[in-house]
Amino acid sequence: MGKIFDWIDRRFGVKEPHKKFLQRPAFGMPEKVNYSYCLGGMSFIYFLMLVCTGLLLSMYYVPSEKEAFKSVAAITNDVTLGWLIRGLHKWSANLFIIFIMLHTIRVFVSQAYRPPRELNWMAGVLGLVIAMASGFTGYLLPWDQKAYWATEVGTSMFGTVPFIGDYLMRFVRGGLDIDGATLIRFYSMHVLFLPASMAIILWAHFHMVKRQGIAKSL
Amino acid sequence: MGKDKREKKFYPDYFSEIIVSILIAVEILIILALIYYPSIGRQIDFTKPFQPRPEWYFLWLYQLVRYFPGKSAFIGTVMIPAAFVLLLLMIPYIDKGEKGRIKAVAAGSVILLAFVILTILSLL
Repeated sequence: MGKIFDWIDRRFGVKEPHKKFLQRPAFGMPEKVNYSYCLGGMSFIYFLMLVCTGLLLSMYYVPSEKEAFKSVAAITNDVTLGWLIRGLHKWSANLFIIFIMLHTIRVFVSQAYRPPRELNWMAGVLGLVIAMASGFTGYLLPWDQKAYWATEVGTSMFGTVPFIGDYLMRFVRGGLDIDGATLIRFYSMHVLFLPASMAIILWAHFHMVKRQGIAKSL
Repeated sequence: MGKDKREKKFYPDYFSEIIVSILIAVEILIILALIYYPSIGRQIDFTKPFQPRPEWYFLWLYQLVRYFPGKSAFIGTVMIPAAFVLLLLMIPYIDKGEKGRIKAVAAGSVILLAFVILTILSLL
């Protein structure tokens, strides 16, 4: 195992720079660190779970007006362990939001948003917004009664914006009404745009933690 | 750790704690997914619109919209949520100067309370 890793590392060169980070005195961690400092890491695990289960679901899900409902039914009833993968995806999504909120509260209470960490706080807020947008777009994908009408209400909110409202709503729906065009639009957002944005935000988030260390709580 | 005065390092001291919390996180997830597995909804029926319920983290927004009927809907759907996000983004800049922390706590609690109270109201 070590030999294989070293062979890769001679070409990749990740061992030395990471050793420095990992073995630095706890990132200059303050004394008063407790388990509430793990909430961000727990959120990240849910993100990884979402990616893994989402990749599996995408093998069976069909984002078309006629097939979407049937394919979700097939995932739940016919595909081996499909119900479990779908359940893990759904619960990871909910827990992801809960733990981001708890993590935000922890950071707020320990005032870890103070300079030089303002930008990292903002990256975190953006991450929460992206997570909620992912929840919104993912809600439509089962293409059932509940999903349809919730999205009907949700997207009609865009229509209330003065002047550009009508255009905005048509842009979000991909047409006047919610139909196959909306479904594939939401699918694309849910599996491509939003996860890619989230990955970039998370990279920045962790990079700043590595560079700036953990804030001393007061 | 007791009398061990050795300085804690990220690896392995904190890393092991993170691993424990990650195990707990995955446990919670698996238990929930096994007990409350998702069911299949009803097929779309365009003739029967019904009162939809969004995910729990959007309930506050649905409740907020109810207070702004007609032309003022824009305030509930866009202006207040956008103000919340902006306020949250600006927290590091609100917390400036002598009374900065008090202002930041006020802003933070307004957002949190609004979220909690509106969510509860929508469930009633």
